[in-house]
Amino acid sequence: MIAFDQVGKRYRTLWGREVLALEDFSVELRAGEVFGLAGPNGAGKSTLISLLLGYLGPSHGTIRIDGQDPRRYVESHGISYLSELVSIPPAWRAEEALKRYALLAGVPASSRDARVEQVIEWMGLSEHRAKRVKQLSKGNLQRLGLAQALLVEERVIVLDEPTHGLDPVWTQRFREVVTALRREDRVILIASHNLDELERLADRVAIIDHGRLQRVVDVRRASAPDRGDRTPYRIALSRGAELVPAVFPRARMVGQGEHELDGLTLDELNAGLAALLARGALIAMVYPVHSMLEQQFREAVGVGEKRT
Amino acid sequence: MSRARVGAYALWQLRDYLKDRGRPTIIVALLAGYLGIEPLLQQMPRANDRVAPELLLRFGSASAVHAARMAEFNALFVRGILGALVFLGALFAMNGIVANDRKQGFFRFLFAKPVAPSRYYGQAFLVHWLGFMLVMTLLGAVYGALVWPVLTVPLLLVIAVMFVAYAGIAFLLSAAARWDWMSLVAVSVAATYLWTKFGSSPGPLAKLLYLLPPLHRADEAYAAVAAAPTLATGRLGAIPWPLLGWFAGYGVVCYLAGLLVLRHRRLAIV
Repeated sequence: MIAFDQVGKRYRTLWGREVLALEDFSVELRAGEVFGLAGPNGAGKSTLISLLLGYLGPSHGTIRIDGQDPRRYVESHGISYLSELVSIPPAWRAEEALKRYALLAGVPASSRDARVEQVIEWMGLSEHRAKRVKQLSKGNLQRLGLAQALLVEERVIVLDEPTHGLDPVWTQRFREVVTALRREDRVILIASHNLDELERLADRVAIIDHGRLQRVVDVRRASAPDRGDRTPYRIALSRGAELVPAVFPRARMVGQGEHELDGLTLDELNAGLAALLARGALIAMVYPVHSMLEQQFREAVGVGEKRT
Repeated sequence: MSRARVGAYALWQLRDYLKDRGRPTIIVALLAGYLGIEPLLQQMPRANDRVAPELLLRFGSASAVHAARMAEFNALFVRGILGALVFLGALFAMNGIVANDRKQGFFRFLFAKPVAPSRYYGQAFLVHWLGFMLVMTLLGAVYGALVWPVLTVPLLLVIAVMFVAYAGIAFLLSAAARWDWMSLVAVSVAATYLWTKFGSSPGPLAKLLYLLPPLHRADEAYAAVAAAPTLATGRLGAIPWPLLGWFAGYGVVCYLAGLLVLRHRRLAIV
């Protein structure tokens, strides 16, 4: 449905220095999937989204949405889009902003007020509807941004840092919204720093760094480590915590009854756990220190290595 | 479909104009008008002051002499202030019309909707033009009620044309550059200076001046509609049509060039 083919973007600064924002980015987003985009600050995520909306043109390569040039697609169909920074004229009132966007998005006049009312309720903005945009808190502004993106149920949804500024309740609510938006003929692209969020919501996650696609992680398939992978774990014992260093010599105590175990294969972990149980320990929890996506992310962007 | 949607949005654009740009235009116009007119009115002889016999002989009565003086005063005042008001009105109406949305990022939500920027801003230009004409009509009516009736079709026509000339340039600059209002001031000053200095030069380089707007002749257009006899008779004969055509053409070409820029230039600033 959306195809990036060797897309690159270079631009010049005011002083003539050439900056590489994106290079040879190729990936295909399929209808029906939630696709995540992860990367450190300045990795090229926002540039990629600007290219997808046609706000920037690629220096080389092509982008197609349903076979069309992005700008042509957007101007004829529209895209549900939440930008990283919610930029709405500060003097507009929340409800007024939604009415304006609903008109431009093509919500029919007969159902416009009802639709605006619906997204206001959905995003919990009822008590803030008459406030000017400049009077809204960060979280409410983010919800207003999300509300305007959801006025029309487009086939392409692009959410750039959607939970930025949201409290835990609304972060959870956002996940429910995304789940509700999943549809066979729709693609949802979420760019986020929050790997946990991407792991919960996305089917695949592209990790980009320094403007290059490092890898695409199939989150559904990579939910458990492979047998040979070395993964750091954390273990908590209700009884027999003092036995851990004897079984796992490189274990580090990180809290009351908790130890961190350096990279272990599944075989090594299971053998160690069996030894602990045999000595009478009572294991309360064992879990990987990093989620699988986080593990992949750390490898892809070289966390811990000297970054240039 | 897109045309109808954007068309319906014109009411919001008109509201924005009147609230954010029309209001300051009215305030500045009233302030400038009051500061300009009050000292002049103080110096004017009153209707019941003694009138020179030769004037009485010429006009027939004291009230006719007073009316002639007021007509002359009005012509001078309107001619003087009109140029400033139209320039400032165009500046207020077009300042940041595209550039602000680009700089502040407001374009991001607007144009994720099925809307073409050229259609949206092209319409904003026309709506602001209409808004400015409403403002000038209101100001003209107030001036007419308090000082001297000035509202005529030729006056409004000249205002409309001169607005298009300035606003067209400003629109193009806003579509193409970040610092649009400063650029408009620079272009206006440069055009007036260069035309005045080299306009009568016979050299081939002087031909390049035709790339610049003929702002040095703006006063001719205002003088034609501010002149008392023209107001009195309402005749259009004194209006410099070719000059107005030049102004209108220049503004329209700049407006179309602005639309072309919007059609092809990407909105994000990197």
